[in-house]
Amino acid sequence: MKETVIKVENISKKYQLGKSAMGDLRSTICNLFSRRKEQAINTDFWALRDISFEVNQGDVLGIIGGNGAGKSTLLKILSRITTPTTGNVEITGRVASLLEIGTGFHPELTGRENVFLNGSLLGMRRQEIKDKFDDIVAFSEINQFIDTPVKHYSSGMYVRLAFAVAAHLEPEILIIDEVLAVGDIAFQEKCLGKMSEVAKGGRTIIFVSHNLDAIQKLCTSSIVLQNGEIIHQGESSLMVKKFLETMFSTASAVSQSPNDRSGNGTVRIESVHIEDEKGNYINTLFAGQWLKVVLNYKSTFPLIQSLIVRLEIVDASNRILFICNNLLSDGEFFNLSQSGQISCVINKLPLNKGSYFMHVYVQMNRKDSDILMNAYKLNVQNGNFYSTGKLPQTHKGLLVEYYWYVNNTKK
Amino acid sequence: MSNYKIVSSSEVPSFYSRVVEIWEYRELLLMLAWRDFRVKYAQSFLGFIWALINPIITLVVLSFIFGTVAKVDTMGIPHSLYTLAGLCGWTFFASLAADSGRSVLNAQEMIKKIYFPRLVLPLSKTFTSLIDFGIVLLCLAVLMVIYQYPPTIQLIWLPFFVFLAILAGIASGIWVSALTIRFRDFQHVMPLVLRIGMYATPVAFPASAVPEKYQFLFFLNPLAGVVEGMRWSLLGTSEFPPYIWLSLGILLLLFISGWIYFSRMERVIADII
Repeated sequence: MKETVIKVENISKKYQLGKSAMGDLRSTICNLFSRRKEQAINTDFWALRDISFEVNQGDVLGIIGGNGAGKSTLLKILSRITTPTTGNVEITGRVASLLEIGTGFHPELTGRENVFLNGSLLGMRRQEIKDKFDDIVAFSEINQFIDTPVKHYSSGMYVRLAFAVAAHLEPEILIIDEVLAVGDIAFQEKCLGKMSEVAKGGRTIIFVSHNLDAIQKLCTSSIVLQNGEIIHQGESSLMVKKFLETMFSTASAVSQSPNDRSGNGTVRIESVHIEDEKGNYINTLFAGQWLKVVLNYKSTFPLIQSLIVRLEIVDASNRILFICNNLLSDGEFFNLSQSGQISCVINKLPLNKGSYFMHVYVQMNRKDSDILMNAYKLNVQNGNFYSTGKLPQTHKGLLVEYYWYVNNTKK
Repeated sequence: MSNYKIVSSSEVPSFYSRVVEIWEYRELLLMLAWRDFRVKYAQSFLGFIWALINPIITLVVLSFIFGTVAKVDTMGIPHSLYTLAGLCGWTFFASLAADSGRSVLNAQEMIKKIYFPRLVLPLSKTFTSLIDFGIVLLCLAVLMVIYQYPPTIQLIWLPFFVFLAILAGIASGIWVSALTIRFRDFQHVMPLVLRIGMYATPVAFPASAVPEKYQFLFFLNPLAGVVEGMRWSLLGTSEFPPYIWLSLGILLLLFISGWIYFSRMERVIADII
């Protein structure tokens, strides 16, 4: 039986929105003298409501939720930056929380001095930092600049040094927020690697990220927050699925504003998501990767005949880059049941790094049934399209497969 | 990485546990003090020069007004020496109060991202102020040599008055830093109070110059006792300052109330800063 190291009991957090939430001298003085208190203007906002959960020794817990779901507030309470309005948190063991890397870095101080300053802010003992100093410098790869003031650092060097300190924390419990959202893709990979190393070392980790892939890879279990409440709790990949379902059923793809959605409604797309080879839901794509676009549909007809589905991939200025249309490749679909899934596989994603949108057009009997503009946003990262790891630097145009040869080589 | 059992709840922790916690964070406190020292002095030689120029200019102005123009009676002690001995206590207090008063507001980015006992911030300012104090003390020593004015046995009381000055600076500092979290206006109030306060404190004139019937009222300003007392120990002026215990009492009251108010603000600081 594993020991419970974090025990969260019925915590709620209330924020006051409104004029005098922050408070200034004038309004306080006015309040003092006027009988009509300004309190009425305030509206209470519950960022968290009655949250309870437990984390055992060695667990890696992910926290998933949309914007404003209360993830950050929960982390702030767990790391004691703020206190809950009601309820209790009990934590047993040495805790380090990383809501940001490089906290407290002073531009005038050298890299060496900042390592000591940042380390002690994160709760490391001076002796501990001394012992690990060489490792930290080696990890950051900035040996020769360690005695240069950090104001002369490039942003990349700054981030590397900051992460190097964080990576050498050895707490029993680690609380992490979105730190992986920094640096280039190679650096993010390095960070993820370091994290899974830490996770395998038997440490307890609480991890908040928008990167659902990272959550699936790292976390044994997850909780899904929505509007300050826990709506699901359990095994990570299942939670990611549930989260995406709630996301799409409530927000993005389906309940589009009337401007973005048209068609006669005989067939409706209920949700759109993207899967990788293993069937994991992904929201960050890599150039050249295999992927499957999955559309869940529902019809007013018990049997669907002559269905055409067209996906248009456009760039940020709405220029069409490529089209996936079943009429061209496979022919119209016949005899489809009233509801189900239609999937389109793209063998090798030909997109450069960047953000793209997908429009979905559905026609039944050559009549527009459903048109969803911007049904899905594709976030593409640099990937291994050409098996060399290299990509055009311009991030313009599409990637195509090609090869070169020369026939006049000197023997 | 504070150890073992940590409870975060809606209840306010006890005074004792707060003290223990600050003790646990002593390394961070020293680290912050060292950072301030590095940024202020070690970057350039000018840091020291500025710490020197400020009290010297104040000294020149005060000596001119009180010594040359108003001809205040300083019981036979050269006026510049007398004023500088007063400035020792005052500048120490004033720089500590100003620095620690700003400390929380200046560290707001840190406060939003990481937990540590927030009292560490104003407390850490003590060290750089001590250095400023040391510089003024050095000037005084030079002046004492020039005027051939040796210190007396009363010098052994100096640590006590240094302690009082720290208490005064920290007490005002934590009050102001806690108040500025909610009311930004206080960051403008502080310099004003310090500027006026210097004239309400016997820096350039002896407390005995104040009429007898106002003496008690005058010493309600706790700095009057601190400054007068420090000069007494430095220069061996004739009598032990009266009402010094009153100053100590008021300072303790100010410190404890500041501590309590700061502790209350500390819990909501990240939400409203």
